[in-house]
Amino acid sequence: MIDSDIGEQEKSLGDCIIRISEVNKTFPGGIRALDNFSCKVKEREVVVVIGPSGSGKSTLLRCLNGLEKIDSGSVVIDNIPLDLNPNHRLKIRQEVGMVFQSFNLFPHMTVSENINLAQRLVRKKTKKEAMQTTMSLLEKVGMPEKAASYPSHLSGGQQQRVAIARALAMMPKVMLFDEATSALDPEMIGEVLGVMKNLAREGMTMIVVTHEMGFAREVGDRVIFMEEGKIIEGGSAEHFFTNPRFDRTKSFLSKIL
Amino acid sequence: MKQRKTQIKPLDIIVLLLLIGAGVYVFYRIKIGLNYKWHWSAMPQYLFRYDEESGKWVANFLILGLFTTLRLSIWGTILATFFGTVMGLCRVSPSLFLRLVSRGYVEFIRNSPPLVLIFLFYFFIGDQIIPALGVDAFIRARSESTQAILSFLFAPPELFSSFFSALLTVSLFEGAYITEIVRAGIQSIEKGQWEASRALGLSRWQQMRYVILPQAVQRILPPLAGQFISLIKDSSIVSVISIQELTFQATELMAATYYTIEIWTMVAGLYLILTLSCSLLAERLEIRMARSR
Repeated sequence: MIDSDIGEQEKSLGDCIIRISEVNKTFPGGIRALDNFSCKVKEREVVVVIGPSGSGKSTLLRCLNGLEKIDSGSVVIDNIPLDLNPNHRLKIRQEVGMVFQSFNLFPHMTVSENINLAQRLVRKKTKKEAMQTTMSLLEKVGMPEKAASYPSHLSGGQQQRVAIARALAMMPKVMLFDEATSALDPEMIGEVLGVMKNLAREGMTMIVVTHEMGFAREVGDRVIFMEEGKIIEGGSAEHFFTNPRFDRTKSFLSKIL
Repeated sequence: MKQRKTQIKPLDIIVLLLLIGAGVYVFYRIKIGLNYKWHWSAMPQYLFRYDEESGKWVANFLILGLFTTLRLSIWGTILATFFGTVMGLCRVSPSLFLRLVSRGYVEFIRNSPPLVLIFLFYFFIGDQIIPALGVDAFIRARSESTQAILSFLFAPPELFSSFFSALLTVSLFEGAYITEIVRAGIQSIEKGQWEASRALGLSRWQQMRYVILPQAVQRILPPLAGQFISLIKDSSIVSVISIQELTFQATELMAATYYTIEIWTMVAGLYLILTLSCSLLAERLEIRMARSR
């Protein structure tokens, strides 16, 4: 345990892969979700975003793959700017995998069809190639025997693991997790977090919005505390939990820990 | 699953007795009050008649009418589904122009009396569009065997253009309702399905084709089946433009024989055969689709 902890701290981070600068996003009705938000994420880095609800965490993730349009500022992922050019958007969506709180598996398709779909349509793989990737991913999330099941026959934890496999099938460079365990029963949270930990260990760049502080502490290279669309405090997980600088962070942590 | 027991309560018996009483009263009024002479024995010959020349039983007025109704319904269903799907997709399109076109189509049709639409379409489509398309000339230029197939599938050459305008009228009319069913079906799919497929990099068309529509189809099947049954019933309205379908034939027959009650009872029965079998089919399809989930 101690060994692996040290190993992770010394994980060498690569170049900057996500550059978010001065992004503003206001929803109709005047809710300011992102307020001059800037942040950089390096390759292989795991950034954990925490904060009270309505602080703009989810919006941040959704702006990163173009599910929400930003009002101003810029987002550059893997040197591709996220702008109005639809080709750029498509390219970024292929590089960025996203896992949702509510799984959003396609209920009319089996598990393997769910994972195959985008490989076939977007990556233009043959059925055989796609199936190979799918099976190896199902192996990775620990449920190869469920390939032919329909999502409705799976538990929440299993559905979320399939959703992770589905996002990984696109071979993304970055994975976004939007409260991936919040909709799960307590006994299923562990299996999903386990998959996420493995991913982090393999060097996937990840931005994780979560309320799982244990996960943040163990896996996060950096923890960001957000409120009202701004970063209040950010730093290494160790520093963040043992010695937060701001009162606002302290009071949030005291409520949640 | 628990089987629900059918229990007959006193109230049920009272309702049943009242219904039987009402039936007997109506029958009594017809029998005594109207002094109606029944001619049920004359009815079968209007369904089938014995052809002296060929020595075979052949379809007569009502069955011929039923066949035309069937043709009109089957082709109408196909065409209306086509119009409805295309227009339904336009209803949820990001393009304002397409949304306006489909909205205009739906509102125009749904807010006009069907009879007025029939006349409008008939005299416009029948008089202007069909000749302009050269359908008549096209049919007449075909070989005899092709013409025979076309008369079996649609109508004999001399009635082709009026059948065609009736068909277009019925399907444009029902298409408007199907448009709304399709739109509601698409919009009932959770936002998360759009987002998940978009996040995977699918184009809008791919999202629609592989993720949204397959799910929408399952949801709209019941209302769609209802609409198809409506289509069969509404097809009777084209009798006013002399399409020789069931209702038209019955009107003609009644004018010749005055066997009013028998003929219309018979026609109601024939329509019921069509619509009830459609209902049963839809029900089975629904059960099968529910089971595959």
